[in-house]
Amino acid sequence: MTYFLQQMLNGISWGSILAMLGAGYTMTFGIIGLVNFAHGEVFMAGAFAAYFALYAAGLPFGVAVVIGILGAVVVGLFVERIAFKPVRGSGMITLFITSFAASIGLRTLFVMLFTDKAKPFVLPDFLDGAYILGDLWVFKRTIAIVVVLVVVGGLLMYLVKKTKTGIAMRAMSYDMQTAQSMGMNTEKIIILTFMIASALAGVAAIMWGVSYGRIRSSMGMMPVVDAFIASVIGGVGNVFGAIVGGLILGIGETLFVAYLPPELIGLRTLFVWIVLFIILIIKPSGLFRANIK
Amino acid sequence: MSAELLLELEDITAGYGKMMILHGLSMRCRRGEIVTLLGANGVGKTTTLRTILGQAHLRSGGVKFNGADISRLPPHKTAELGISHSPEGRSIFGNLTVLENLRAGGHLLKTRVELKDHLGRVYSLFPRLKERRGQIAGSLSGGEQQMLAMGRALMSNPTLMLLDEPSLGLAPQLVKLVADTLTEVNRTGTSVLLVEQNARLALEIAKYGYVMEKGTIALEGDSQQLSANEGIKRIYLGLVDRVDGKSTSRGGCSG
Repeated sequence: MTYFLQQMLNGISWGSILAMLGAGYTMTFGIIGLVNFAHGEVFMAGAFAAYFALYAAGLPFGVAVVIGILGAVVVGLFVERIAFKPVRGSGMITLFITSFAASIGLRTLFVMLFTDKAKPFVLPDFLDGAYILGDLWVFKRTIAIVVVLVVVGGLLMYLVKKTKTGIAMRAMSYDMQTAQSMGMNTEKIIILTFMIASALAGVAAIMWGVSYGRIRSSMGMMPVVDAFIASVIGGVGNVFGAIVGGLILGIGETLFVAYLPPELIGLRTLFVWIVLFIILIIKPSGLFRANIK
Repeated sequence: MSAELLLELEDITAGYGKMMILHGLSMRCRRGEIVTLLGANGVGKTTTLRTILGQAHLRSGGVKFNGADISRLPPHKTAELGISHSPEGRSIFGNLTVLENLRAGGHLLKTRVELKDHLGRVYSLFPRLKERRGQIAGSLSGGEQQMLAMGRALMSNPTLMLLDEPSLGLAPQLVKLVADTLTEVNRTGTSVLLVEQNARLALEIAKYGYVMEKGTIALEGDSQQLSANEGIKRIYLGLVDRVDGKSTSRGGCSG
């Protein structure tokens, strides 16, 4: 039982990171039909920005968090500008290809500059340590990660569900031209969506650093696939769905590995595809209502 | 007839990409009037509306609204000037609730008070929308979706409302509701440009009408004049079958 609970906590921690990454992913997926592989590199860039703020500049943790988020936003906007804006409206496949190119390009650039060796992301003191309940270790960092997901996720839900901008984002996901005829400045709202999505990737990157204590140039490669799947499971463009999808994948993956005989652990990456497959058979448009036509 | 000009289309050639659909089309709407644009399928009625909205490719000619040239405005700017659109096939946001659709229509409103006012007005025109406000718009019936499309276009309290085939596919009592609503909206100060295939309905509520053929205006005049015109009677008012063999008359025949 303790083993299960311990693994659950690990799963929730990993799931929260995927949820944060998936929430950003699904926003740009919904609004311009973008399957964005470069989201993983935006995530990685955020981690590097925070890393350099901490270790090269010696800034306090709180400042490093802000710099990590800003770093992700800058890289996210840069990618939007060079890879997506020029080909916007030319269809999903074209966007898919340019996002792939941007992803590989950025990753290669970071590997060239900083190699792919793991870099330490040391916990600040206030996140170090654990509460011990019987045999169960509840790490402070796990609590922090969950709290961040709840708070940021809550704010995001409010933005998307209740505000004028959020309604405009969802309306645009469904029908861009009609949205424009209502006076929505779609260009501005698309840029804003990219900024928010990238900021969420930055938050996820800090969560990752705090959770695993190291970062590397290739760290975005696999999680972005999970984020993509989380957003499909949750219904494309549905932020709440992507958060739930991310948690399902994170918890599922962790338990899958925890209970499988060691020789089968290599199948870990297969797990998310199995989940996707099963959910899409039961509900082809995802667990929650998609925001696209 | 002395009312000032609100909308002027001058010698428009427009279409999509390389294909031009409108050829030298000119028309005008006066402030405070309901003007209708009639014509068979595929003559370019929708494209005319899209040209006004900046959604089509305008090759030559000009569009003036309130005396100002709007031909090169980006699409979201026309709404700021007070032009709203209830598109063909309704184009409601099926992923949003009824209330969210209406809020989307009021996107440019500055204050909550204005939003509440206009919402109240739309709900009083279409009480059904109030009942259904929490429902996902995609699950509404066709008639309710039409009410929503019109309500959404009214949320901005527009100066000019463009409507594309609002009666399409509606039951007779709903067609009447659409007509009554347009008359009421017009009475409270909104000018209307109504694209319709249901010429009987359109000429009943409109003051002035244009008839399109092959991308240009073939005929224009006061509604009574047009209703009395032999060609119009024959082709659009269902006194005989239309050219393509289908009857357009929904309200029964009368001489």
